[in-house]
Parts: sequence; structure tokens; C-alpha cells
Amino acid sequence: MKYLIRFITTNAAGSTEHSDKIVDAPTITIGRATDQVLHLKDRRARLQHATIEQQSDGVHITSTALGGVTVNGRSQRDMRLARGDVIEVGANILRVIEAPDGIDFAISFELSGAASSEHFVTDWSAAASGLGGWSKRRISWTLVIVVAIVALILPGVAFEKFWLAGPVHSAHSSTASECENCHVTPFQRVPDDACAACHKVDRHVAPPATAVLGTTRCASCHLEHNEPPQLVNRHQGLCADCHQDMPADSTLEDASDFLDAHPEFKLSLLLPSVGEDGATEWSVSHRLMSAAQGADQSNLVFNHAVHLDESGIVTPNGRRVIDCAECHVPEPGGARMQPISMDEHCSACHTLSFDPDDPSRSVPHGDPEVVLQSLIEYYSARLLGDDPDAVAQRLRRPGQALSRAERDRAAAEARVQALEVAEDLFERRACTNCHQVTQIDGADVPWQVQPVRLTESFFLHANFSHAAHETEVTSCDSCHHASQSESASDVLIPGIENCRDCHGSALTHRNQSSQTPSTCIMCHRFHYASKGARQ
Amino acid sequence: MHESILAFRKRRYLWLALILSLLAIAAYLFDDPQEPANGGTVLGYTLGTISTLLILWLTWFGIRKRRYSSTVGTVQGWLSAHVYLGIALLLIVLLHAGFQFGINVHTLAFVLMTLVIVSGLYGVYVYMKYPGRVSANREGTSRPELLDQLEDLDRRSQRVAKELPADYQELVSSGASRTQLGSTLWARLRGNDLSRIVLRDDDQTKVVANPGQEAALDWLAEQQSRATDSESAAKIGELSALLRNKRRLLKQIGADLRLQATMEIWLYLHVPLTAALLMALFAHILTVFMYW
Repeated sequence: MKYLIRFITTNAAGSTEHSDKIVDAPTITIGRATDQVLHLKDRRARLQHATIEQQSDGVHITSTALGGVTVNGRSQRDMRLARGDVIEVGANILRVIEAPDGIDFAISFELSGAASSEHFVTDWSAAASGLGGWSKRRISWTLVIVVAIVALILPGVAFEKFWLAGPVHSAHSSTASECENCHVTPFQRVPDDACAACHKVDRHVAPPATAVLGTTRCASCHLEHNEPPQLVNRHQGLCADCHQDMPADSTLEDASDFLDAHPEFKLSLLLPSVGEDGATEWSVSHRLMSAAQGADQSNLVFNHAVHLDESGIVTPNGRRVIDCAECHVPEPGGARMQPISMDEHCSACHTLSFDPDDPSRSVPHGDPEVVLQSLIEYYSARLLGDDPDAVAQRLRRPGQALSRAERDRAAAEARVQALEVAEDLFERRACTNCHQVTQIDGADVPWQVQPVRLTESFFLHANFSHAAHETEVTSCDSCHHASQSESASDVLIPGIENCRDCHGSALTHRNQSSQTPSTCIMCHRFHYASKGARQ
Repeated sequence: MHESILAFRKRRYLWLALILSLLAIAAYLFDDPQEPANGGTVLGYTLGTISTLLILWLTWFGIRKRRYSSTVGTVQGWLSAHVYLGIALLLIVLLHAGFQFGINVHTLAFVLMTLVIVSGLYGVYVYMKYPGRVSANREGTSRPELLDQLEDLDRRSQRVAKELPADYQELVSSGASRTQLGSTLWARLRGNDLSRIVLRDDDQTKVVANPGQEAALDWLAEQQSRATDSESAAKIGELSALLRNKRRLLKQIGADLRLQATMEIWLYLHVPLTAALLMALFAHILTVFMYW
């Protein structure tokens, strides 16, 4: 398609001159960009302002500019052009003129005085006027609005998590589904009532501490939204702030650091005493570790060293080395040890058999009266029963019942035998292996066995978990030294020095490399109302 | 004697920033709060307050630098302090937060602040390096002088073209008026030569890209090879020489524009991000105390 563009200029004298240019192209593009066929040096024109092209019903002018293009004084987006039409783009005026022969379409272009005729180069010296038309101010306000929406409005409406200052502890995950459950009133700290909605607080803080704590809020110690998430304050200061300087009349010594400012361990020993009625009573006595050596009074006779002999110990099944765990079995959870019992732990070796002819027979473990009774019953049965050697057999003729006198004689003989065997058991063979037995002359049952109770928890106010200490480097004996203990009165609980091999100060820099930082809360708990002897 | 903003008054603000940083680090190391270090401890609140005041003061620089009548220090001093204390701010805020991050408003404020500081550091780099590069590129002339040279080349080309057929005049005049080295900041940064030229080829009028005057020079070379008389061949050769000069000049001007744009572009991040930071900081402080 051949277009003719007639450039019309007005010279200084006022007369017009024109020069023709023939363009052989499918379209005439009009705009400020340098790639436009008709290049307008006019800021009011867009880079690509309008296009003149042949369509099925004639030549059209189309414009994608916001206000379109002005044709004959009217804004148009798409218009078929006819001769005489006047097109305005900014200050430039184009007219559709009669096309000469051989030309498909012709326009004239008046170079307006108002249009900038300056070289485009001149505005290069200006500072860059923005980023794609965006000034700094406009970008700033846009970002401010975006941040306000993302940081203030959206979380308020739908995504409250975006306001979280840190993770919620898993223990609170269901409670924390709504921030308002704890943060009851905006701009006010979390009140204790919010905690009390789920937690029973009264069992937590025991009287001596409540006096000191006063109105301290729960959340000042139990802090949420921290990393790592932790609700229990394990900080040394939690205890040491008060306990480093106890009042003079306090029963407690100062304690501020496990490494070198912690009192000697005190043991809670279960000790027997004989009451007015002669019965043994047990009570807990607190003793300093240094004053407690050999002070255990369980009334048991036991030699750890013999049992743990490296060459083994004689058992009904031959000589065998036994280890600690055969008797000392951890509780489920691993904190303490399960109680020791004769039936479970001793009886396999320490059988209570009494008749060499019948080694499977044994007396029950327990009350001496029951033991004696079981022996009498055993021998009575032998004398009166089917045993061919029994007394009754010797006395009785076939088909003849025993007379009363014969029965009394048999019973007396059985009792004599039973007492003989019992004396052997109580005073020489079985019981005295483990028990202290006293003789009571003239009584029906002339022996009394001292009752036995083992201290199950030597530290009532400290937590210790065996499970937590089960490591490659520790063995039972490395702390308890049981293999050297020959008496049950030995206290095999290690002292604070033993703990300090591995546990040091709360302040890492004070510790040796082998010591792990240890704060009070590692072993102790905050003042609990339930604090006291375990029942 | 010119004194760099970094070396201003024996680096007094560097020392101030260093002392502030060391104090903050020492306080952080010696502080032993009963909870993991975070913005809610006594030290956390203290460092947070210092950081907020620092941010407001650093932002105030944007206003102070326009107050030409102000006698509160010199702008040079303010900028020197702005740079050093701005860097110290990053450390103080990290200590304030106890190095705790998350996907939340608080970390958003931190990220925006970091972006502001990083863009500022780039700005310092640009201000240290680029003025020298601009001078080196201009080779002792100024931008208006370079543009005058360009106009002079165009005028001389047109004079030569007038003695040649109309096609040559069209080539030169369209080449002159359609010379463009990027109008937008982005185009300047990329150093694009958007120049075009109108060529007549097989009786077709074409607007073709003319970066580095390549299209024009190629067309002239082709015409020269076809030229039969030595006189017009000499004129075409003269025209080519002029356009090659123009190419060199355009390259120089393009580099000048690119350097200038680089010195301006970082502010398009630094300033708007600061505005965003202020909003995020407001959200951070508001929500922290709303959910106290």
C-alpha cells in the first residue's frame, strides 16, 4: 500500500512550502516513539498514538490512546477516513487529501509552531524522572499502603498469626487458637485469670513463696512466644535471687550455684524407733550426707560386696555372676527403682526349705507365727497321714481308728519336731542370713524378726532420674560403689562431689569442659504446695 | 580540600557507631535475663527504644538535607553519621530481637530495615566510585558539550547529504531526529540505544532500528560499493566517517546516562523502602503492646 505524506511548512516570509514523501508500507503508525512512521516530536502524543491502515471498507484511523484521536473535533477510537477529514494529535494537524495517481491514500502534515521542534537530545540532561512513570513519592505511598494492609489490616481480619511475636508452646496449641483467650484486654498484660481459666493455680505456689512473690503475674515467669518455646523458667535467678541470701532465722542454707555455692546434700533416711507398745515405727530423718555414713537402719542384713563378687556367687543353679539390674529394676519412666521384695528378688537363691528329704518344701516368708504353724501342720500331716514311716502308721492297726491319746501323742511329737526345725531356721540357717532375730523366752513363738523397711527415696526435695543418667560413661557402680559395701547400714547414695564431676555452674564459663551447665530447676522444683514427704 | 563523607572529621561518626555497637554487644553478652533473649526483656526494650529513635533520626536526614538554611551541623556531617549509625542500627536491632525470627510483622519490619540498609550501602558505594567514573567517561568535557558535539555532527552530516540524492537526506535527517538513548530510567540503566532510522529499500519505506548507527553505516557502505563516480563515493565516505564519530559520541553519552541513572536508581529503593519500614515499625510496636 502506497501512502503519500505531504509535509507543509510555513517559511519566515509567511508563504507555505510542501514536500511529498511516499511511504510504501502496510500501515502508517503515528506517535512519539522513534520507530513510528510518522514521528511526532510532541510530548502530548503517546509513544504509539494512532494507526492508519486499509480495512475492508476503506482506510481507518485507530487509536489505543486513552482519549483516542481527535477527528473533525470529535474524539474517536476507530473511524473510517474520508477526504477532508482533519486529524489532531496533540498540536499536530493532519488532513486527508486527494490521492494522486498511483497512490492509495494521501495525508498532509502541518508542522505546528506549538510542537516542539527541538532536538530530542536536549531532555537527556534532565534527571531521570521516575521508574516507569513512578516517582519516589508514589512508590513510597504504595508500599506504605501495601505494608499497612499486610501488617495491620489482613491479620486483623483473617490472618492473626502474622502478629505472633514467636511460636506458641505445643502445650497451648489448642488454647492459642484465639489470641483473645490469653490477651484478654488489648494493651494490657496477660492477667492471671486467663491462666486460671484452665489451670488450678492454688496447688502451685506454697506459702513461703507466696509471701515473697506477692502480686507477681503467672506470665512473668511462664513466658510464651519465645524461641526455643519454653514455659518453665529454668533460669538460675528464679531460685538464686532469693536463696542466695536467706534470712538469718531461716532453716535453709544459702544456695546460689551448684558448682560451689550449694549446701551439702541432706538425706532423708527412713529410720525405725520402738514405740511405747513395743511396735516398730518408721519415720523420715534428715541427715547431712557426711553424718549419714553407716546410718541406714533398714534392719536388713545384706552384703552387696558378696553378691557382686566378680567370680560369681553360689546359686541353686551353680556359680553365677549377678548384676545390679537383677534386683534393682527401674520404675516405668525410669526415675526411681521398684521396691525390692523377697519373693521376686531373693527367693530364687535363698530358698526357705527345711526338710533335706523334701527340698521342694519351704516355709512361707513372713510372720514367725505363720512359719511355725506351717511347720507344725507339715509334721502333723506326716505323723498322721499316709507316710509309712509316720508315727500314726506305727501306732495304728489296719481298720482301727486312733484313740484320742494316740492323736495327742502324735500332735505333741509333731510340735517338737516343728520347733526343732524352726529353731534351726530362725537361729542358724535361713532367717539370720538377712534378718536380725531376737529370742523371746517362754513365748508361744519364741522368736521375733526385726521388721525391715528400705528407704525408697533418699532425696525428697530433689528430682533424680536414673533414666536420664543411663549413658555410655556411667555404670551403677561408678556412682554407688556397691561392690565395696559389706554392710546394709552403708549409705550408697553418692554425695554432691560425685554429681559435680558432670554438673557444674549455671554459668557456662565457670565450668570445666566436662561439666554441663546446671541450674536449680534441673533437680529442684519451684515451691509446690504439695511439697513434702512422699507418701 | 575534598573530604569523603566516610572520612568526615577524622571518622568521628565511625567511632561513635563503633562505641554504640560495642556497648550494645557488651550489654547483650553480660545480660542474663530469665528468658531467652528477646525484645521483651529489659535490655530488649532498651535496645528497641534506641533502635526506634535511631530509625526516626536516620529518616529525618531526608528532611534535613533539604533544609538549606539549617545550621544544625553540616549536611556532610549528617550524611556521614547517617551512614555509620545506619550500619550500627542493623546490629542493635539484631540484639534487640535476640536473633529470633519468624513469619510475622516483626520480622517483616526487620527485613524491610535490612533492605533499606543494604540499598543505602549500595548508595555509599555508588557515591564513592561513580563520580570518578563519570569524570573519566566525559574526558574533561561536560554533558552539554557532548550534546553540542552531537548536534554539530548532525549539522555537518546534513550539509554533506544535501549534495547527495534525496535518499541520503532522508537518511541523515531521520537518523538525527530519531536518535534516542533511552527515555526511561530503566532504559538508561541498561544503556539501550533506541535510535532508529528511515530507510528506503526496494522502494519500501522502512523504519529500522539503528543502534550504534549500524543500519545507517551498513546502508552507506552498500551505496558506496555501488557508487560509480569517485566524487559521490568520496562524499559517501565522508558521511560514513561523520556517522562513525557519532557512534563513538553516542556510546559516550550512553555511558554518561547509565552512570547517572545508577547514581539515582538506588534511591528509588532506599526512600520508598524507608517509608514501608516506618509503617511496618508502627505495626510492630502497636501489635507488641496490643498483645502485651
